[in-house]
Parts: sequence; C-alpha cells; structure tokens
Amino acid sequence: MTRTLAAIALFTAAAAVLPLFLGDNPYVADIIITMLMMASLASAWNIVGGYAGQFSFGHAAYFGAGAYTTSILLTTGNPGIPLCVAAGVAVSCVIALLTGAIVFRLRGHYFALASIAVAEIVRLTALNLDITGGAQGILVTDVSFGALDMNSKNPFYYAMLFLLVFTLCLSAWLRRTRAGFYLLAIREDQDAAASLGINLYLWKNMALLLSAALASVAGSIYAVYIRFIDTSAVLSLRLSIEIILTTIIGGIGTLWGPVLGATLLVSLAEALRSNMIGAFLVNAGAVSEGSAIGKFLNNNLAHAHVLVYGIITVLCILNLPKGILGMFRRKGSA
Amino acid sequence: MLFFQSLISGILTGGVYALAAMGMSLVFGVMNISNFAHGELMMLGMYLAYYLFILFNIDPFIALLIIMPLTFGFGYAVEKTMIGRVIDHPSENQILLTVGFGLIMSNTALLAFTSDPKILTTSYSSSSISLPGDISVSIPMLLSFIITCALTAALYLFLAKTKTGMALRATSQNREAAQLMGIDVSRMSSIAFGTGTLLAASAGAMIAQTYYIDPFAGHTFLLKSFTICVLGGLGSVIGAAVGGIVIGLVEAMSSAYLSTDWKDVVVFVLFLAILLLRPRGLFGRKGEQ
Repeated sequence: MTRTLAAIALFTAAAAVLPLFLGDNPYVADIIITMLMMASLASAWNIVGGYAGQFSFGHAAYFGAGAYTTSILLTTGNPGIPLCVAAGVAVSCVIALLTGAIVFRLRGHYFALASIAVAEIVRLTALNLDITGGAQGILVTDVSFGALDMNSKNPFYYAMLFLLVFTLCLSAWLRRTRAGFYLLAIREDQDAAASLGINLYLWKNMALLLSAALASVAGSIYAVYIRFIDTSAVLSLRLSIEIILTTIIGGIGTLWGPVLGATLLVSLAEALRSNMIGAFLVNAGAVSEGSAIGKFLNNNLAHAHVLVYGIITVLCILNLPKGILGMFRRKGSA
Repeated sequence: MLFFQSLISGILTGGVYALAAMGMSLVFGVMNISNFAHGELMMLGMYLAYYLFILFNIDPFIALLIIMPLTFGFGYAVEKTMIGRVIDHPSENQILLTVGFGLIMSNTALLAFTSDPKILTTSYSSSSISLPGDISVSIPMLLSFIITCALTAALYLFLAKTKTGMALRATSQNREAAQLMGIDVSRMSSIAFGTGTLLAASAGAMIAQTYYIDPFAGHTFLLKSFTICVLGGLGSVIGAAVGGIVIGLVEAMSSAYLSTDWKDVVVFVLFLAILLLRPRGLFGRKGEQ
C-alpha cells in the first residue's frame, strides 16, 4: 500500500510540474489533457470492468450525462461550475441505478448487450430532445469561473489530473477494503461469491455507481474545456469501446494499466492524425514521397487511427489477453 | 390505409432483418460467440453489390450468386485464423475480438472507399407496385423479401436434411457430446461462421438499393440483429426469422404512429423488456441466460 501511494505521489508530483517545462504550447497541452481524460475514464471503467469483472459496453452514457448536464446548466442559468459538475454526477448516478437494475440481472453476452442497449437509448434520447440541442449539440460560450483564466489550458490540465489522481487513489484504496475483495470474488466466480454470502446485486451496483460518478466528472470537465458537445462526441458507442480498449491494452484489473493504455493509445492516435508516422517513413527513405504508397500514406494515415486500434485489439486478445501490464504480473498476485 | 401500408413495409423490411439475424443466431448457436462484426459483414455485402453493379453492370440480385460463395469463403477463413482461436475464452474477450475485427473492416472500408455515401441505382430502384387503397410496394424490397424467403427455406432444408446441417445442429445443442460422437466441431464452427457471413452479406447486398452505402452502414443493423436474436432466442434460427418480421413491424408501426425519430428507442426498450421478462426469447431453450 505504501509503495502504491508513493508511486501515485511521485506520478502526481511529476505531472504537476510538467506544464512548467512545456511552456506555452497549447498543442502538447491538449494532447496531455486528452491522455489524462482517457486515463481517468479507463480507470473509472476499470473499477466495474476490471475489479468486478462486469464489462459495461455503455460507459459513454455516464461521460455524456456529465457533459450534457453541465452544458445545459451553463447555457441556461450558469449556477457555477461546481454545481454543474455535482448535477452531472447526480444525473449519471440516476442513469447508473436504472442501468444496474436492468443489466445486473444478466450475465455474459446478455449483460454486454443490455449495457449497449441502455447507452443507445440515452444517446437516441439526447439526439431527439430539444433541451439537448438534438443533432446540433450544445455550444457553451460563457464558462467563466472565479478569477481563473479559462482560455488557458492550465485549469483543465489540473482538473483532469486531479480527477485521475483521485480515481487512482480511490482504486488503490478500494482494492484493500472488504468491498474490493468482494468485487474480485464476484469477478472470479459469481456463484461461489454468492454462496459465501456476498450480495452480488448490491456490490455490482456500488461499483457501477462509483464508476459512473467518476466518468461523469470527466464528462463535465470535457464539456467546459471543449465548450461544444454533440451526441457523436460524447455519447457514441465508439467512445465506450475506446474506453474498454484503453483498459484492455494497458492491462485490465491493474492500477496503472489504464494510465499506460491511455498514454499509448492517445499518442498513437495523435502520431497518426498529425501524419508523423507517414512523414517518418518518407524521411527514413522507406517510401518515396511521390510514389503511390507515399501519396496514399500522406492522404490517408490521418484517418487510420481507429483501424490501428482495431488491429491492436485483435492482436492483444489473440496474444496477450491480460494486456501489457498483465504480462508482467505474476499469476495470483492481482 | 396507413396501417396497411406500414404492415406491408414492416414485413418486407423485417424479412431482410431476419436474414441478417439468422446468420448471427447460427454463429451464436454453434460457436456460443456474439459476433459484433456482423454489421460490418453486411456492409461488405453492400459494397460488393455496389461495385459489381458499377464495374461489371451485374444486377444486385444476380450478383448474389457471386457474393454468396465469396463471403462464405471469407467467413470460413476469418473463423480459421481469428475467431475460432478464442472459442474457449471468456465471452468478454470474444466480444472484444469481434469488435476489433469490425473496427478493422469498417475502417479499411473507410480508407478504400472514403466516407462519402454511395447510392446504388438500378433501372427499377425507385419503382413500385400500386395496390388498391393507395398502398405502394417497392419492387427492390419485394424482390429482397422473396429471395429472403427462398434463402430461409434453403437454410432450413440444409439444417434439417443434410448431414452437415445435422452435425451443425448437434454442435449447437451440445458441443462436447457432438465431439464425442465424432463430429469435427472446429470444422462446424468454420462452416457456421462462413454461413453467417454469407447470410449477412446477402442481406447487405439486397438492401443496397434501399439504404445509403457507407463504411458504417452496418452499425444500425448490428443492434437490430441482436434484438431480433434475443427476441427469437439466441441460437434459434427459426426464432430469428420470426423475430425479424416482428421487429420490422414494430419499427414500421412506431414510425407511423409515434415518430420516425423514436423508432429505434422503441426497439431497444423492447429489447431490454425481453431480456428481463423472457431472456430465452420466443423459441429459445430453457436455462440459456
């Protein structure tokens, strides 16, 4: 436990001073904020998916609920950002309770399908209602908060970092508590856990509630940061799947797996999007810029990051189903 | 008259849904795997039909004769190299593998064909038959429905009468017992996945004239196919056929009497209701949830 805490403290200290070295580079800051966000989301998912073993395929619903609640409140009356975040958490928890009531009666394939169906209902509802701006989404103009300079990246950097560190501490603490052991027992064998007197329904729902609340805070920060949301950005099935992939590729059920996964996947996506890899291949002389392959790479690699996600997922499941960190973990020492 | 119009278009659309869902149900029954790449296999059929028509001027319905063996081979190979290797893994890993495979397919299509939607227009694409009372029946949809019925009958005969079909059903009922009886269950898995791919791609090819063709076109059909399979009982091919018609009707009726925007919500609510109230579906075996 002390080692874990020391690692988290070290990580926090390193991340806290990082902006001082980056100077005023909004591009890099933006990438790191995205990394912190994906790491928070994946860590939040890890509580219900990794520890309790309940693969929710609909976590975008909680992220989106936070983002939408915050944006709606900011555009209608602006009661202050903390209240918006709290309201987002409340809405998310209500959705999580409704979801839990339905999906935790089911297992395996049925559980996965039901969690997608609930998330799709949330997405379609946001797409069809007036208050959520329908397909046009919501544009937030006024995000002022105290004396903070909301046009700089720093408030968002530290907000996301705080959320991530909070989620990591909570996960590390949870693993040591009785509840954490209940969750692991449920993951390993639900029937055995139930026969030992663990209330499956209660603890699965607790894990989901916690996870949903954390995901919702990430959504709120995202909404204030980007100032524009629509259903394809914050409620899509693709986002739910990216959250799961981040965790799986890093190492499911481990504390640092989601952070590692987010660092790898976000940098990879950015390297492809900015065509760094294509340019590298051309510069290294592997392909000439004028050739058909060179042109193809230049024109298309920017759209290829999801394709690469897919390839990584397939390779990961076939060759290292426990993820990168899981490879180094001794058997039995979760 | 709105009622009869919705009834007819619901049944016609439902037929195509049923065809796609039967493929998914067959795969689930034999392999016990939920195929999240099923929508992408439909998308594959749509693009095949489109390019066979554009490049070689082959009518989409005749193109089925080319598409079916091609996609069966494709599915067979995919099962051998990828899906079949996770048959003993936990269901989460299987789902993620098929999700990853779907992402590869849709994003390869995105690179190859761009995201611009394509429209397949034949000489009869927008023609329809008028029935008394202002009811019109779209010719391509009617043809799809007729071919769907023929394919369903063929599939039924294949499963009921042929030796391979019986082996498939035996594997679906009890994989281990089937193996002990000398059935090559891994070959059955490949055949099931190949047939599933063939059915999905055929459904895709037949609706290519009715829907926009783009790399993510299969997405909506994935969730619909799941709903249909769960309604009919996951693993039951006949259940999927009936479920397809039911979902087609529910959709047509809710867009006629409720609103087009909410028709998908109605389908998903129905889906959750079935999962909770009757998880083995209409035709499923007991104790499978």
